[in-house]
Amino acid sequence: MTDLLKIEDLIVEYKTRRGAARGVDRISLKLQKNKTLGLAGESGCGKSTLGRAIINLVPHPGKILSGNIILNLDEDVPYEGGIISTGEVNIPYLGEKEMRALRGKEIAYIFQDPMTSLNPMVSIGSHYVETIQAHEPDVEKEEALERGSKMLESLGILAERIKDYPHQFSGGMRQRVMVGLGLVLKPTLLIADEPTTSLDVVVEAQILREMAELKEKFNLTMILITHNLGVLAQTADSIAVVYCGRVAELASTEALFEAPKHPYTQALLQSVPDVTKPDKKLTWIPGAPPDLTHLVPGCVYNPRCPHAMEICRSVQPPLIEVDDSSLVACHLYGG
Amino acid sequence: MKQDAIVKGIFLRIGPMKESLRHQSTKWWVGFGAVIISAVVLLIGLISLAAVSNSGIGLQSVAISLAFAAVLLFVTTLAKRLDSGRWTERRPVLWFVPLGAIAMMDVVVSLGLLLAQEEWLRFTVEITFAGVILGIILLLYTEGYPLLRDRGSAGFITIAGLTLVFLILYMTAISDWIVPYAPFDINVGGILAAPSPRFPLGTTDLGQDLLSRVIAGGAIMLQVAAISVAVCFVIGIPVGLLASYKGGVLDRIVSLVMDSLFAFPGLVLAIALAAMLGAGVVNMALAIAVVYIPSYFRVVRSQVLTVRELPYVEAAIVLGATDREVLLRYILPNVLPSAVVVMSINFADAILTAAGLTFVGLGLGIDITDWGRDLTTGAQYLNVVHAWWVISFPGLMIIILALGFTLTGEGLSEILTPKLRE
Repeated sequence: MTDLLKIEDLIVEYKTRRGAARGVDRISLKLQKNKTLGLAGESGCGKSTLGRAIINLVPHPGKILSGNIILNLDEDVPYEGGIISTGEVNIPYLGEKEMRALRGKEIAYIFQDPMTSLNPMVSIGSHYVETIQAHEPDVEKEEALERGSKMLESLGILAERIKDYPHQFSGGMRQRVMVGLGLVLKPTLLIADEPTTSLDVVVEAQILREMAELKEKFNLTMILITHNLGVLAQTADSIAVVYCGRVAELASTEALFEAPKHPYTQALLQSVPDVTKPDKKLTWIPGAPPDLTHLVPGCVYNPRCPHAMEICRSVQPPLIEVDDSSLVACHLYGG
Repeated sequence: MKQDAIVKGIFLRIGPMKESLRHQSTKWWVGFGAVIISAVVLLIGLISLAAVSNSGIGLQSVAISLAFAAVLLFVTTLAKRLDSGRWTERRPVLWFVPLGAIAMMDVVVSLGLLLAQEEWLRFTVEITFAGVILGIILLLYTEGYPLLRDRGSAGFITIAGLTLVFLILYMTAISDWIVPYAPFDINVGGILAAPSPRFPLGTTDLGQDLLSRVIAGGAIMLQVAAISVAVCFVIGIPVGLLASYKGGVLDRIVSLVMDSLFAFPGLVLAIALAAMLGAGVVNMALAIAVVYIPSYFRVVRSQVLTVRELPYVEAAIVLGATDREVLLRYILPNVLPSAVVVMSINFADAILTAAGLTFVGLGLGIDITDWGRDLTTGAQYLNVVHAWWVISFPGLMIIILALGFTLTGEGLSEILTPKLRE
């Protein structure tokens, strides 16, 4: 199995008035083809920043400071003035034109809020036509519409509704339209940034199931960003728990849910309500996520960690392999 | 500045109802209806004076333009029917049929009327234009009304405003052929004669027939307003789009310039510019345009700043859209409705400013028929010989025209931003 995406020592920094905040701090990840990686963590921990860095669109004032994001292309991608040839490309070093060719065509990105992700002034069909023609200028409008309606049909929306406008769709349908828009150019990598957070649970389940089906159908590799561990349990092959821009634990889904190793992962899992155990007392993690501009020395989790030791306050733990299926950054293991 | 105060005082207060548009009482509606109906009756009355026209073919002119309008209406309805059938591809061709037919008809009629060479060309152009305008009014009621009716009071207000504007346009277009006397002929009656059966609106200080001048006097104002609005639209919107989308230094500089312009009192700035540029329709229009460009810029800028942060713009970028596509396909369509609303209000303002400019003596020469000019001369005789008619009737026409544009603008702003109602 080849790696579709390799992230090496990535640092993304936000320059704020109060100092530099690292949204992503030396994260290294590998993602195999046709696998789903879940990124989990609290709000503001840097999981969305990581997703944005992969399409080189870190929101202002953020910037990729160093590190590599290597995408393995399996086909040539033409762009305005050249061709990106098959093989490895390093995303932070690509120009704007090359990046534009990759967005949508190779890497699709789906946003959290489907209600506002579609232009209210144009029909769904125009969205599809524009997206397709942005990458394949030779395609006629009729053909693009045809492809769009096929896409809608495969997502369970009637083909003739391609003439309709965004306000005529419900939230779940709009998210399906967005998913279809992301997939219509048959990308290899799909990044879904909390795709179901603003939907109700029934629609959420439907969309997740459909995305899983599409993943099979289109040979997709997926990165699913969410704060809902339940969503990841169903869909992800492996999960990276992110805390303060660093990976706390990277493990296969089974390993993470059965034997969470990092104290932060354990605490996260305990704060998820469980319907099968009504007597279980819900716990929460004391304290708040730290101020990213003034990080504590040592392990960033030490002020909130019940197992904090002396070494945690001075030495930052490296991400080390604990067993076959888990990598953990904690002094409790392999110290 | 006393004269300026009069102009402002008389006209600017009619900009109505910004607040009250959403909740009117029955009393309000009765008043509104009375104003609109009397204005429409007045305009139609003026047009129907064609029977006693100076040119001798006033009635024919009105009849021909009416016929043209009817053909236009017929063709549109036909085209709509055919739209559902198979003729769709050939539809545009249909438009050339009535246009050609009318042009031919005009030529034949004018030859029949034995007009001189130069005359019939003018006749053809003016009557065709008048016919198109009349056709638009008819279309407004047949096609537009069912659409606008659903929008409630905003729809009625828009229709009323558009009717006033287009009636005045029609009257102006056809004025050459329906005026009882040539509007610039002096001493056709006595000097400053009071309204009488022969001169229903009286005469001016040069003995010109005021009725003819009222019918024909809108041309300059409409031209000035149209040119200035076009200039504003062409400069204000692209500059606003580009500067605010790109941001940074460019945005700061442009905003600074626009805000400095905005800081001047509009009429004073227009007066200064008009004095600098000299007389002429285009110069007047430019002076007014400079005053109103900042309001377009501001509206566009605030809209762009909101729209460009919306997720769907970001989604477009993520799907690989270029800056140009984002600007033209995603931001511009969302900005245009607000710009159109500013435009219709801007029309009313431009007319009032044009009147103000003429009033303070920066308008066109004395040989041009213009409501603003009559206002200027009328003001001089108002107190001395109590010739109230010279200032009243042109002033009334300016009010009606400005009212038409204001109503259109207010109604459109309700219609184009449907979420205001929710």
